[in-house]
Amino acid sequence: MSVQVPASISAETVEEISAARDEPDWLLERRLDALDSLDSLDLPDVIQTPGRRWTDLESLDFESLVDPRDQSDETVRESVEGATVLSFEEALADHEDLIKEHFGSVVDPERNYLTALSTALFTTGTVIYVPEGVDVEDITIRAEMNSRSLFSHTLVVTEQSSSATILESIESGDDVDGDRFFSNIVEVSAGENSYVQFGSLQNLDEDTYHITLKRGTTDTYSTINWIEGNIGSRLTRSDVETSLDGEGSETKVVGAFFGHEDQHLDINARVWHNAESTTADLVTRGVLDDVARSVYEGVQDVGQDAWNTSSYQRENTLMLSDDSEADASPKLIIKNHDTEASHSATVGQVDQEDLLYMTSRSIDPNTARNMLVEGFFVPVLEEIDVEEFREDLSELIIARLD
Amino acid sequence: MSSNEELQETNTEARFEFKKEESSAFKSEKGLDEETIRVISEDKDEPDWMLQRRLRALKQFQEMPMPTDWPEAPDLSEIDIDEIVPYIRPDIDVRGGVDDWTDLPDDIKDTFDKLGIPEAEKNALSGVGAQYESEIVYQNMQEQWEEKGVIFCDMDKAVQEHEDLVKEYFMTKAVPPSDNKFAALHGAIWSGGSFVYVPEDTTVEMPIQAYFRMNSEGMGQFEHTLIIAEENSEVHYIEGCSAPKYSAFNLHSGGVEVFVKEDAHVQYSTVQNWSKSTYNLNTKRAIAEKGGRMEWISGSMGSKATMLYPSTILKGRGASDNHITIAFAGEGQDIDTGAKVYHNAPETKSTIESKSISKDGGRTNYRGLVHIADGAENSSTAVECDALMFDNESTSDTMPYMEINESKVDVAHEATVGKIGDEDIFYLQSRGLDDDDAKQMIVSGFIEPITEELPIEYAVELNRLVELEMEGSLG
Repeated sequence: MSVQVPASISAETVEEISAARDEPDWLLERRLDALDSLDSLDLPDVIQTPGRRWTDLESLDFESLVDPRDQSDETVRESVEGATVLSFEEALADHEDLIKEHFGSVVDPERNYLTALSTALFTTGTVIYVPEGVDVEDITIRAEMNSRSLFSHTLVVTEQSSSATILESIESGDDVDGDRFFSNIVEVSAGENSYVQFGSLQNLDEDTYHITLKRGTTDTYSTINWIEGNIGSRLTRSDVETSLDGEGSETKVVGAFFGHEDQHLDINARVWHNAESTTADLVTRGVLDDVARSVYEGVQDVGQDAWNTSSYQRENTLMLSDDSEADASPKLIIKNHDTEASHSATVGQVDQEDLLYMTSRSIDPNTARNMLVEGFFVPVLEEIDVEEFREDLSELIIARLD
Repeated sequence: MSSNEELQETNTEARFEFKKEESSAFKSEKGLDEETIRVISEDKDEPDWMLQRRLRALKQFQEMPMPTDWPEAPDLSEIDIDEIVPYIRPDIDVRGGVDDWTDLPDDIKDTFDKLGIPEAEKNALSGVGAQYESEIVYQNMQEQWEEKGVIFCDMDKAVQEHEDLVKEYFMTKAVPPSDNKFAALHGAIWSGGSFVYVPEDTTVEMPIQAYFRMNSEGMGQFEHTLIIAEENSEVHYIEGCSAPKYSAFNLHSGGVEVFVKEDAHVQYSTVQNWSKSTYNLNTKRAIAEKGGRMEWISGSMGSKATMLYPSTILKGRGASDNHITIAFAGEGQDIDTGAKVYHNAPETKSTIESKSISKDGGRTNYRGLVHIADGAENSSTAVECDALMFDNESTSDTMPYMEINESKVDVAHEATVGKIGDEDIFYLQSRGLDDDDAKQMIVSGFIEPITEELPIEYAVELNRLVELEMEGSLG
């Protein structure tokens, strides 16, 4: 059951996009391969239980959402001394070999319909390269989406014993009538003993369908930490994944979301332990108000060769409204017994005793509730390395509470 | 000698693994079509409405797909319904079961003697039903319960003698054939099983038990159990299952429906030790009314593949559910089991406790669903899954699903997976136990929350089965 490919997308469209950016042939070829594969690919899997499908991606109307020829964004990249931070287009001129080596190596363009569509059509994105032994902090990429649809592809490569902390934010710029579509693929390749924190803050307007897949692979002793903040969008489908391929490597997948009105947030955190002595910690906290709905899947997959593994997962959802819905499925797939694995998930409302305590201290109930919600996010905020990001996320949470 | 000691001293393995020569009074053709069903229904002399329900279920079975789209579902590709013998009536004189073991043909009596059923009946049970192939061959209930109006009989007999109740409850409310492909199959060719009716304000103090035995190669067993516990009544039903191992596969697809009325309490315990050539695909469901309490206790030791998710629908205010499940998967076994609970009323409560052990390439999976409907305020659910793994050939999966539509709830899920602690083994060894005994003791301790819920005979039996699984396989 494949998805209809919109009439506006053809080899000609893809050639046009590629030519306008003066791309090398190999990249055009990859775009065209992805385009060809659309016919045979399905949308990403969504969870189904008897009689229910947790997220409806089938009714996304790509015909009206996607206008490949009209993509525009305004992106400000704060580069940092010692590292390369360039738009994808600029980076091709200076670092073609690097991109050729890593592009599509972490996220298979033909993984599903949406990754293939994004690979064929992306016009924006960033390349970050951190050379051996270099430590950089606070790389910020702030993007505004100005068109009906936008496809972005970001690539992060860190060499041996380097480190980088990154914030990528996306919001809506110019108004566009009707529904919009934003697709974002991020690939992180962490070299031996390197450290990457990739933070993402999404605050798109609530007419936008937001699809993102962020995936990293680790080399020996390296660490990839993800912070995934979702505040905006009408529907978000977010997949954040780490493949722990190097011995002794680590990952954290930290998520925060705050849905209100009729937002639908489908948040996925997955980790594969493919090597010995690897460690993973998945922490997601979310709040739901009005009729918002969240869907969470967390997967800890411990492979047969992953001896001496530690893998933890926690998911907590706070429901502020009776009409919201929180669905969760934290999964363990364990094929090696030399593992310490656990997961836990909770759903509930603001703790009534906490509330009582605060109101008895003469704090009015609404303020008390808001303080408790802010406090609920603290464990997530504390994980954020980039101060600007922590402040932004915190402000967005407070703004939503008012 | 107490029955305990006897159970410990007899050879458990020999008691389950033996085979008897096939001998039957009636055996249907292999495979499944309308004709087979008419023949079965006629052989049972059923009323027309039951035949019509069977035929409707057959149609649904034929139209439904295999459950292949589940993530990591057990491999069922070997199951070819056309190779299954759906119905074997053993060679007995009395339909619906004799009430004295000595009236049974020797080979059948011997089977149940070896399984220890008559002995258990004397000591610990209010009533016993025993099914051999497709029919109940023995059924007895202590007089004191019969006098109080408690009914415990063969399901086929219930169709004849308690037609109104069966017509009302049989696959109409809890497990409709449309539920899943194997429920539909079950609806088409069900045979045997138990009917239990407990009147208002009646407590059946000792458990009643049914034992299901498949003896013939390539057969399918499709017994149906229907339990109706009226207001403020209480009953504990135990189900045991076994079959000898054959090269061709056997299929067990039972259906269980439990109705827990206001303030009633039903406990349903299963210790399943099907042979490792049996596919065990059951649909079990309970509906609990206001203040009702349902308990499912399941031990899955046998079978090649099991897919079993006992469900409870908490329909009335204050109803509660308790699931305790243990799965043990050894070489070549895929035990995919769990629980489903629907909280459809306020102040409902559920707890699910799952323990699984996998070794020698076996796979266990906890697959569960907790659904809290909008309006089910002040409900709570706690799910706890613990898994032990013995080696890196085995797999231990945990796949819970939670759907929460109500904010005034308390929802918690926890799971852990790990190996047997080296320190624990070291400690026990320092107390003079050898490695094997230490591991067995740790496993026994691991499953203790479940064994302590069972009558002592069954706890001993379960422990013996676990020991059997562990024997000779520990380095």
